[in-house]
Amino acid sequence: MPITPYTGPFGRPELQHLLRRSLFGCTTADRAHFEGMSLDQVVNELLTFTNDTTPPVRAYTDENGDPNGIDAAVPFGSTWVDTPITPLNDTDVIEVRIRSFAAWWMGLMRGQQRNLREKLTLFWHNHLPTQVSIVYQSEMQYRQNQLLRSGCKGNFKQLIHDVSVEPAMLFYLNGYLNVAAAPDENYARELFELFTLGQGSGYTEADVQAAARVLTGWTFMVENGGTPVLPQTLFFPPNHTASDKQFSAFFNNTVIQGQTGPDAGETELNALLDMILAVPECSRFICRELYRFFVHGEISAEAEAEVIGPLAQLFRENVDAPDQIAIVLRALLTSDHFFSNAIRGCMVKNPVDLVVGDLRLFDFPIPDPGLVEARYLVDLEHYWLTAYAGMNLMAPPNVAGWPAYYLYPSYDELWLDTATYPQRNNSLLAVVYGSVETPSNTVQPGSADLAFRVDIIAFVQQLSDPADPNALITDLVDLLYVNPISDAVKLQLKHFYLLFGQVSDIYWTEAYEAYIADPNTTNMTAQLVPDILRWLIGDMQKAAERHLY
Amino acid sequence: MRRRSFLRSASAATIGGFTVRGLGNPMLAPLFDRSGEDRVLVIVQLYGGNDGLNTVIPLDQYGVLSSVRSNVLIPESAVLDLPGITGTGLHPAMGGMRELWQNGKLSIVQGVGYPNPDFSHFRSTDIWETGADSDQQLASGWVGRYLHQEYPNFPNGYPNATMPDPLSIRIGAPISIGLQHQGVSMGASIYNTQDALNLTGNPFTDPVTADCMGSKLDFVRTVQRQADLYGDVIEAAAVPGCNMSTLYPAGDEPGAELANALKIVAQLICGGLKTRIYWVGIDGFDTHAQQVVSGNTTIGNHADLLRGVSDSIHAFQNDLELLGIDDRVIGMTFSEFGRRIKSNASIGTDHGTSAPLFLFGTHVLPGMLGTNPDIPANTTYDTNLPMQHDFRSVYASVLKDWFCLEPADVDAVMLDTYQTLALVDPSGCMEVGVHEANQRAGTSLLDVYPNPFMDVVNLRFETGGDRAVVQVYGENGQVVRTIHNGPLPAGEHRMQVDLGDLASGAYYCRVQTGMQQQVKAVIKVR
Repeated sequence: MPITPYTGPFGRPELQHLLRRSLFGCTTADRAHFEGMSLDQVVNELLTFTNDTTPPVRAYTDENGDPNGIDAAVPFGSTWVDTPITPLNDTDVIEVRIRSFAAWWMGLMRGQQRNLREKLTLFWHNHLPTQVSIVYQSEMQYRQNQLLRSGCKGNFKQLIHDVSVEPAMLFYLNGYLNVAAAPDENYARELFELFTLGQGSGYTEADVQAAARVLTGWTFMVENGGTPVLPQTLFFPPNHTASDKQFSAFFNNTVIQGQTGPDAGETELNALLDMILAVPECSRFICRELYRFFVHGEISAEAEAEVIGPLAQLFRENVDAPDQIAIVLRALLTSDHFFSNAIRGCMVKNPVDLVVGDLRLFDFPIPDPGLVEARYLVDLEHYWLTAYAGMNLMAPPNVAGWPAYYLYPSYDELWLDTATYPQRNNSLLAVVYGSVETPSNTVQPGSADLAFRVDIIAFVQQLSDPADPNALITDLVDLLYVNPISDAVKLQLKHFYLLFGQVSDIYWTEAYEAYIADPNTTNMTAQLVPDILRWLIGDMQKAAERHLY
Repeated sequence: MRRRSFLRSASAATIGGFTVRGLGNPMLAPLFDRSGEDRVLVIVQLYGGNDGLNTVIPLDQYGVLSSVRSNVLIPESAVLDLPGITGTGLHPAMGGMRELWQNGKLSIVQGVGYPNPDFSHFRSTDIWETGADSDQQLASGWVGRYLHQEYPNFPNGYPNATMPDPLSIRIGAPISIGLQHQGVSMGASIYNTQDALNLTGNPFTDPVTADCMGSKLDFVRTVQRQADLYGDVIEAAAVPGCNMSTLYPAGDEPGAELANALKIVAQLICGGLKTRIYWVGIDGFDTHAQQVVSGNTTIGNHADLLRGVSDSIHAFQNDLELLGIDDRVIGMTFSEFGRRIKSNASIGTDHGTSAPLFLFGTHVLPGMLGTNPDIPANTTYDTNLPMQHDFRSVYASVLKDWFCLEPADVDAVMLDTYQTLALVDPSGCMEVGVHEANQRAGTSLLDVYPNPFMDVVNLRFETGGDRAVVQVYGENGQVVRTIHNGPLPAGEHRMQVDLGDLASGAYYCRVQTGMQQQVKAVIKVR
């Protein structure tokens, strides 16, 4: 039974729902871009992209602002990703490069194209995570992140294959220590439990041990003859277990033939992944992961039957397709279930969605691309803001990712408690009120002494009729919340903020129009307009409704 | 620093070392919790610009008034007299306030305004809330500056044992600039006047819907409520037993909404909050049209508004007295402007200038300050009333004689020296150290000394090793000096800053480090 496609009206509420779940927030420009398209057209565009990113560049200095004080092997403004760190364990350089990577990633999300690439990259980072505190190697982190980005909508087996032998994962889950003489089960266990099948799905301890033996012999290289090199995967045949690997009835009593020689690791890894993917539970498991990230935390019996089942079947039917994930996601995002009231607005935003969504919504200004240093400083501030809001990218709590995506029964509600709520609230206010300033002692003269702050006037000018206080409130409510807001509350907002406690709309209209006509006006009423808007929108940020999408 | 504080705080603030609020019986609180320092000002804002000439009526001006505003003028025979004075009376709907007058609980200040009046609601409200000159824009409210001066470390380390409660509470509306200091809300908002326990603090009070997103919203609101620093103390104080008056307007009666807000204020004061400022409001005074009923000027919109204000305040004072907490509370009305002398053809009045305001309470100095306005015989549409008292003189007087600030501190809050008026009985102020405890409460990230300073000011602050921004702001919020912007090692830092080139006046030193920031006000003198 295929999944039931959505055939209802595809108006603004449906478009906004789709975009809020597929992008980081939904801006007026996003909305305008897609309005008028059919659901299939929108989802097709959301799934059409490549990894066309350019790598992060060195825009950092040492603590004193000296560009030659740190990582001098890389010219200022050039990328560091192809230059090995010398000496290998120079943690000062590792630290600044990791920050550079973090800022770069933030910049990609905040400046995202109108497609699913960055959201899916975050999905995979949660699903196939590594922790910076353990890996702590900038080139590895960067390469793994790019691998997730390039493979995010492709073939599942290919992605798991690549991640399994990527240096970051080989290091993180001890794959490089997994040798014939002393097998290390760490990666094999997580491969089954967290990445492909799920705990309790039916595999045995013996299966974990057998899988560990399949994976013996993989390692990575970070220096060659004492000279640091870029992280590179190696297969070392003498460390590989050459005997046959017997699996349980859960895997249909599969025997993976023991191999020798330089291709042994690759051959057996492929056999292992084919065996895993042949188990129906694998397809259900990954479809549930997608569902929890894009649709809803708890999976009802109805959703299991009507969504997960059909999606899993689609996943299996396309097991060799190069765009397998895209096919499944397309079916999910065009399904009747995805647009049902049972799930709309019924998820607490993860902190990246919360912060990046707002940076995009309010179009937080960023330095020109040429000002790499200012750009780096602004991006890094935004990275810290998401961390402050509760989601420190590169630092999930453990190999299971963030509990909001797996911990029954609270799921997404785990983002919010009395400790994180004030921080999330402050983050929302920081976007509207705060500014990011660059110091005076930058290397690039143009990057010095800049201040970036949301242009609240430009923001409301995108709305239908900001001079009309009723239209302004209605448009803002529409953009900011999924939950219905009553006319009584809208009236209160208009009354207390836009009308300063008055009842006649003309007072706002006159003030706003006077300000727009001349932002440098000496009319002191009109001069209040930006402050009034920041006050209104700042307080609208404090609504509980703001945390849902 | 030597400060004046309150006479009554000489009596015991605690009984045997226990605070009275722990006793559990709400009715005991008003009897015993006379800690004295908890003086309260209740601000009643009349949104829209109240028609002063039809509120405090100059009976000696009837000749000219009947020629320029006959369609709204109250018949002389209907005006309520004010025993003890002649020539001035109250609108007939204001029986409640007349009773306060008779009981010596009402002060009328004539002709309150400011030089170069602005006729815009927004701008004039802004001026009244910030205490600005009419050509000046300020980034803080006058109450916000007062609270910042009294609790200089707020919000770092708040709530604390010295000040466990909100510094101020706005009821029925969001925190506006009057209660802000440099972008920081110096108070909590209770939005829903129907339900004191619904402390969402924002306008979003829609009931949750019966679907999935509704249940999720309920969850977020619950967390929001739990995370509210002041939710518990407000809820604990808002005990229903703390309303004893039966006089409050209710239901569809005029002023019921204001009355609800004032009932909550009485509850919270009686319930033991140490909050000093309550701010409530009533809107609809923008009576361009149909101010009165055609042919019967004693009834209509404006009469209902005044009746609402008068009855609510009368009931509130009655409540305070029945609860035995009237010694601690005074109130003050204000509106952004009065209205034009000459009425218009829509049976209404347009935006004007100065107008009377009221102070009420057991410790206000009763009577009328100032005189009836002198209305020119050749009054035209453009003629406005002259100012008798600067509104900032009213604020300064309350700060000095009710909150017992030293004159120099009054000036620092008001940003200038204003004449003080005999509005509040000043005998309640004496030298006690409550103020010092307030000054020390909370966490000081930043010390600034000496204060006042002449040329050089010293900053001492601590950072956690993040980037730090150290700046000096002018009173308008403009950055006048960036002292540091960049990484600083963790620990204590001392910086000496020469501000000799700046004009004398109020400045703010601000330190931002990590996710924290603190602002301290300093005064530069010559």
